Amino acid sequence: MKSSEGLTALAVALLVVGCSRGGTGSDGGGSNGPNPIVAGLPNGGTLPSISGANVLAMTVNGALCAGGSYPNKPCVSVTICAPGTLNCQTINDILVDTGSFGLRVFKSLLTVPLTPVQVGGKAVGECVQFADGSSEWGSVQTAGVVLGTEPVVQVPVQVIDSTFGHVPASCGTPVTSPADAGYNGILGVGLLAQDCGPGCVTTANNGIYYSCTGASCTGTTLALASQVQNPVALLPHDNNGVIVELPSMPLGGLPSLSGYLVLGIGTQANNQPGAVTVLSADANSGSFTTNFNGHTSVSFLDTGSNALYFSPPTSGVLPDCSFFDPGLGGWFCPSSTVALSAVTTSSNGTTASLVNFQIGSALNLASSSNNVFIEIGANGGGEFDWGLPFHIGRNVYVGIEGLASTLGTGPYYAY
Amino acid sequence: MNYRVVRLVLCVLLGSSSAWAALGEVVALRQQARVQDGGFSVRTTESGSSTVREYVTAGGIVFGLAWNGLTHPDLGKLLGGYATDYQMGVRQSPRVFGRRSHIVNTGRVVVEKWGHMRSQKGRAYDPALLPQGVRADEIK
Repeated sequence: MKSSEGLTALAVALLVVGCSRGGTGSDGGGSNGPNPIVAGLPNGGTLPSISGANVLAMTVNGALCAGGSYPNKPCVSVTICAPGTLNCQTINDILVDTGSFGLRVFKSLLTVPLTPVQVGGKAVGECVQFADGSSEWGSVQTAGVVLGTEPVVQVPVQVIDSTFGHVPASCGTPVTSPADAGYNGILGVGLLAQDCGPGCVTTANNGIYYSCTGASCTGTTLALASQVQNPVALLPHDNNGVIVELPSMPLGGLPSLSGYLVLGIGTQANNQPGAVTVLSADANSGSFTTNFNGHTSVSFLDTGSNALYFSPPTSGVLPDCSFFDPGLGGWFCPSSTVALSAVTTSSNGTTASLVNFQIGSALNLASSSNNVFIEIGANGGGEFDWGLPFHIGRNVYVGIEGLASTLGTGPYYAY
Repeated sequence: MNYRVVRLVLCVLLGSSSAWAALGEVVALRQQARVQDGGFSVRTTESGSSTVREYVTAGGIVFGLAWNGLTHPDLGKLLGGYATDYQMGVRQSPRVFGRRSHIVNTGRVVVEKWGHMRSQKGRAYDPALLPQGVRADEIK
């Protein structure tokens, strides 16, 4: 297979154009693009301007992401402080990820001292595996974290550092730098409050947490309060979840897209839900189900996935791009943009909704100068992963486990 | 409790506590579970970080693996004689930024990973070992 060459070509093709155009909405609106804004979505091509302590500006590619970022990457800035001090720094190019839990940032970027979390008097190391085969290794340290202009929260974060202690064999080859990872850090603001949860409280052989002395690291249990945590859940107010808000956009793509990450659901005038579908999610895995093409799959919403990932229909309407370019294997390359639909059902089976979506040719999109695409999809294994394109043109509510809002008690998604 | 029931219980106990076999290897007869409809059996092994299910042919050969858990299991062990093949495949199918799945198909072995934090999943199989009429997506 030559996927590395082809995908590098895809990335280069997509990223040549700068992505610094600001504004709140679809850059260029509908006027510059060859296509009209995709209709039938709750949000139009421009979002109403909102402000408040609980609002983070978010750009998909665009000003808050590093130049040359991969397509469909939502970014915010986060302020990190030495615990209990006003000694702070602000780091951009932080991936907004509703598919993970907790803040992770590269050690090489930190200029303020954090406080190592300990277990039994030893430093805590952590390995996080991502489903793309990559992993992150580093120490767990307490930081003062400021989201928007909310009060600072003291929270364990992962300091990504492949040189910390000794990487356990099961952690594979962890990422070594922001360039290697594709971001400066990850802000995991998904449905759950900790990145491991009860499993790591009771089981030392959890594959995630380690106690380290020098270069010796062995598996350890870790109390919930010491685990890397979703910082939103620790806010004094606005702590019951987040809203990801993005405008609609035209088919064919845009250089960048601007929106908001709003903290809290129904806690302020600026985060009151409209009429939405609420999908309860499984308390352990954070998943619901999606029925597509007569087949029901485990499913989740995830801003950290940059496309819609699912098994293609048997009709052949979504041929694999490898027919045209071996390097683009896995991506979908229909001869023209295809309109599809699926039915999402809550984990408790009581709520279902029809979701319409479109898939275009990844090959054609790759040959454009744009970075943000609403109609990009790929074969994703055994689940239906509603990635970033699902969030374009919608406000998506992510309700944190055990916390109540006007939409119910988490974990739930709503849109 | 008659003898047959005792033997069945004993087999289940042995199956749950004994070592697994790697992909392509033969499971010791005493460790084999009862063959289900479809002509294969499934043995489940749990660790603190993941649950691994071995799919075993009626002849006792492990033709597929599926897993879920906090982390992916150590595929170096589970893939046995396919591990080197897989590692070469990984090098030729590097990670794609933003993608939450990873599929390696060397022709000899297919390894698929997907999922998200606290719910990592995957499967591995040798297409040539799939029993007649068994589809890869039945390994789950």
